[in-house]
Amino acid sequence: MQRTTHRPHLLGRPVVVALAAAVALTATACAKSEDDASDGKQSGSSAAGAEQKAVEQKPGSKTCTIDAYGAEKLDLKGATVGFSQSEKEANPFRIAETQSIKDEAKKRGVKLLTANAQSQFSKQITDVQDLLAKGADLLVIAPLNSDGWDPVLQAAAAKKVPIVTIDRKINAEACKDYVSFIASDFVEQGRRAADQMIEATGGKGEVAILLGAAGNNVTTERTKGFKERVAEKAPDLKVVFEQTGDFAREKGQQVTEQLIQSKPGIKGIYAENDEMGLGAVAALKGAGKKAGDVKIITVDGTRNAVQGIVDGWISGVVESNPRFGPLAFQTLDTFTKGEAVPQDIVIEDGAYNTDNAKQDIGKAY
Amino acid sequence: MAPPAEVLAVRGLSKTFPGVRALDDVDLTVHAGEVHALIGENGAGKSTLIKLLTGVYRPDAGRISFQGREVSFETPLEAQKAGISTIYQEVNLIPLLSVARNLFLGREPRTRLGLLDFARMNREADEILRTYGVRVDVRQSLRTLGVGAQQMVALARAVATEARVVIMDEPTSSLEPREVETLFTVIRRLRDEGIAVIYVSHRLDELYAVCSKVTVLRDGRRVHHGDLADLDRIDLVSTMLGRELGEVRAEGQTKFSGEHLIADDQPVLSARELSARHKLHGVSLDIRPGEVVGLGGLLGSGRTETAKAISGSLALSSGAVTVAGVPLRGGSTPAAIRAGISLLPEDRKSEGIVPGLSVRENIALAVLPRLSRFGLVSESRVDGIVDTFMKRLRIKASSPHQKVGELSGGNQQKVLLARWLAMNPKVLLLDEPTRGIDVGAKAEVQKLVDELAADGLGVLLISSDLEELIEGSDRVVVLKDGAVVGELTGDDVTEDQLMRTIAGEAPPRGTPEEAVTHG
Amino acid sequence: MAEATLRTAPLDKARVLQWLQTYGVYAGVALLLVVNIVITPHFLSAENFRTQAVQVAPVIIVALGMALVIGTEGVDLSVGAVMALAASATALYLGYGLLPALLVVALFAAGVGLANGALVAFVGVQPIVATLALMVGGRGLALVLLPQLEDLRNPALASLGSGDALGFPYLILIAAGLALLVAFVVRRTTFGRQLLAIGDSRPAAELAGLPVRRVLILVYVACALLAAVAGVLATARLQASDPTSLGNLMELSAITAVVVGGTPLTGGRVNIAGTVAGAVLIQLLTATLIKHDLPPSWTQIAQAIVIVCAVYAARGRGKR
Repeated sequence: MQRTTHRPHLLGRPVVVALAAAVALTATACAKSEDDASDGKQSGSSAAGAEQKAVEQKPGSKTCTIDAYGAEKLDLKGATVGFSQSEKEANPFRIAETQSIKDEAKKRGVKLLTANAQSQFSKQITDVQDLLAKGADLLVIAPLNSDGWDPVLQAAAAKKVPIVTIDRKINAEACKDYVSFIASDFVEQGRRAADQMIEATGGKGEVAILLGAAGNNVTTERTKGFKERVAEKAPDLKVVFEQTGDFAREKGQQVTEQLIQSKPGIKGIYAENDEMGLGAVAALKGAGKKAGDVKIITVDGTRNAVQGIVDGWISGVVESNPRFGPLAFQTLDTFTKGEAVPQDIVIEDGAYNTDNAKQDIGKAY
Repeated sequence: MAPPAEVLAVRGLSKTFPGVRALDDVDLTVHAGEVHALIGENGAGKSTLIKLLTGVYRPDAGRISFQGREVSFETPLEAQKAGISTIYQEVNLIPLLSVARNLFLGREPRTRLGLLDFARMNREADEILRTYGVRVDVRQSLRTLGVGAQQMVALARAVATEARVVIMDEPTSSLEPREVETLFTVIRRLRDEGIAVIYVSHRLDELYAVCSKVTVLRDGRRVHHGDLADLDRIDLVSTMLGRELGEVRAEGQTKFSGEHLIADDQPVLSARELSARHKLHGVSLDIRPGEVVGLGGLLGSGRTETAKAISGSLALSSGAVTVAGVPLRGGSTPAAIRAGISLLPEDRKSEGIVPGLSVRENIALAVLPRLSRFGLVSESRVDGIVDTFMKRLRIKASSPHQKVGELSGGNQQKVLLARWLAMNPKVLLLDEPTRGIDVGAKAEVQKLVDELAADGLGVLLISSDLEELIEGSDRVVVLKDGAVVGELTGDDVTEDQLMRTIAGEAPPRGTPEEAVTHG
Repeated sequence: MAEATLRTAPLDKARVLQWLQTYGVYAGVALLLVVNIVITPHFLSAENFRTQAVQVAPVIIVALGMALVIGTEGVDLSVGAVMALAASATALYLGYGLLPALLVVALFAAGVGLANGALVAFVGVQPIVATLALMVGGRGLALVLLPQLEDLRNPALASLGSGDALGFPYLILIAAGLALLVAFVVRRTTFGRQLLAIGDSRPAAELAGLPVRRVLILVYVACALLAAVAGVLATARLQASDPTSLGNLMELSAITAVVVGGTPLTGGRVNIAGTVAGAVLIQLLTATLIKHDLPPSWTQIAQAIVIVCAVYAARGRGKR
């Protein structure tokens, strides 16, 4: 048997990479998407005055001061802040989050260093170490993981650099390893979604839940809050269907199609993110339903979902606020002046419904 | 002169595989300081014997004594530790480790701390290899070495593990002549140190150059043993092939009719100076229309390679093939097929038939593009061709839709013949066309070959069956070590002459070059 | 020499296996249909069958290409990435109109197929490795072209995704048409026959003078084009281009459909009807579990059981 196999030339690899890059470049160079002509799409993150506040602190919650933490006072103005983003800015939430940090830094005249870990945890660790090496006096971190932060925390402690984490918590000791954690309360988001659902359906009938990705804490907490509140306030509202849509639009559409086939009497759908909710809308449209036949409540507050309210397909959207900038910098400011800041800060989430969707759509990201 | 001690004594060794008696009551005695040739044709039982000696297989019957004690090795490693080392055709070392690491693998020198002592290992490796005529940087990985040098490392390793018996299975098959010389030097040195060498090779020159004793196996039995010097080449070859010199041949044993009428003097196929690295060294031959040219020689002499080179499936380093006067682009099977060359490969099961497809698909496989228009197959034309050839070749299948893998060997071979005849070829290359098929089918295939030649096809016939080769061929070109060593024509096409030529006695008619010009 | 001992399994068992290999997948589909008609409310309705068919259409289309590749004893892991690439390219070029956008999509897909095919046929890389490279690279390129989900409002695209002719959604018609076309190619063209011969015994195909490399490259190009069709249809249905999640794990769904449908991974045989039935079987299974609101992990377990059964039934086929 005579079969000659050639070895792949290792030298060829850079050429292939260069070629791929060239393809990508030329492909985008002459691209023309639907929106290029009209300027219909604006970068939703320029935060049309979306104010951002912390939820009122409960009395007795733990606080942190600069003395307890062991850092030195400084003036935030003129300081250097490092920001480490976890995921690629490929979805509205991350885009708005990064933009908000940048905008606030600009507004306050703070020098900002940014890095993006592209969903690789090892890269995030080196990112933060780089930020420290480049002279960051303060750090804002959106962690990709909760664990594995020891090397970074030690390096920061050695330089006495205060850390504020946003949207995801680090498993470490507050006011020792980091100053504060700022995030939304996902259970509360679930409760508020339930409130909206009860209002939209009148508190009676059968509803379905489109779950997020399995094994994700956001999924569990948004489910928990929703079910708790429904059981408490509207026992006549029955959750009869819970299937995962993996936080993706196509999956939300497919699952909803099955749902409305087998349970035609369904009154409401609670989608644990906007994308699945939009998938549900597509499914309802495809099945010949009319806007409002099935009440849809979603969580996140992206522009597309809020537009869905305006169009009548979605009944309500609970916001999961990505605009951590003002709150993060305010916390750092207060802290570096020597005053006490709370260790856990819950960001205030807005909400959109038929009453405010039209005028507030500019706030959506 | 007191004989040296018996280092290895094998008595009554037998081994049966399902359906095959691979080794039948074989004895083998090897003394210290002896280079012992172990020879036999394909399937004679050489590799089975070696595998029994080295613990790869367990014998069904018989005893093996090594250095006076009866042994029964469970694994090759055990045999190696006891002192029987084997060097296979393919070097079985670790290509990515350094030369020195390979040489000392498993018994590396260590420092007092128990770490590898690289300095010492490299120094000693260098010294050892120098004695084998190998001068290389021992820190380099083994794969950077040539095959010959790798073989030397394997050999040095075998000897360094204090082997008493070294078995070499076709060690020179991938070596350059210069490397072969070095190998022989080393073998002679081993001999002088009292190590026994069992040397397996088909190259007669090599056997006579280094071996003193010989054991010949045929069909699983020992058919001869003794001093090699007592046996001249012609006897050796005839013992191996199992044909007595001057044996009276019963007429009509094969279905070949004898001489063919060769009308055209212009060759339909002409191969010139075909060379392929390690395999062919300037093979030239011509085939005229209506002529059956036999290709003789021992296993590994380059017969299959010649056929493959002509059919474009073996890449050539030099040489040219012309079909009916038109030069052929080398190294392309489709080009050769378009020019009219068809090859029935030696390994029918893995290179010939497509076992999962039906008889019909197999017959139509090569000719399909000619039966198609715009890529669409004309089923009726396929049916026509399949029907014609199934009848003409008397292919026995339950239906044209039966899977070829389910047919008997003879019918599979006929299906392959049909595949090529459907192409209407000019030249048919038949590599062992009747091997492994039953007697009846064999006769049918032989008769077919005759008919095809009578129809004006040029045929190249390769066969290990001497009778088939002699009776079927008008002319026999004899190969040895990848080169033409002689040609038998006319009355010289006899088994005696063939064996003499294979054995390296003067070819009947001048030099190979002259033979070609005559042809 | 070491010949395999003849299998001496009882004839009955062999016969059952043989039957399962050939008809198991259809029996499975029939069984699921009957069970659902009995236990699932509102199952027996035109709407429901339409939903199942529309959902399974992209899987079928990808599985058709996968079946061709598996027929050559290969595998194509890059189909999901090609779907994503198709989605990105559609969004990126829709400004020129639907047809030009589709043309660009076809070019991208053909490029991926050529790369796969060349790596397999000329460089000699194993299919699983070659297509793995394109699976990672293709998805990466898709995200470079279009980093995030984009809504599409092109009316032609929308009607492609949700319109119908004579009551049959375009998606179903296209999938059915492609299935017939691929079945025809396999059965009636030189290309189809050569593909099977190469898959069954590549050395024999080479010695028989078949254009092995050309056929291999064409097969991978065809597979990528089919995946691109599926990507465009899924995008049209969603009316949004979502390169981050479109086609995720599609390669596994397609391979499952092909294997469950009775096409052996060892090549040399392609069962198109079985492949379609295999995709339908998985779809019905998923639908059943979703409709009865069983935990999603059950779906995965059920799929695994079906694959194990299919592989068990195919076991005898590997040994000729």
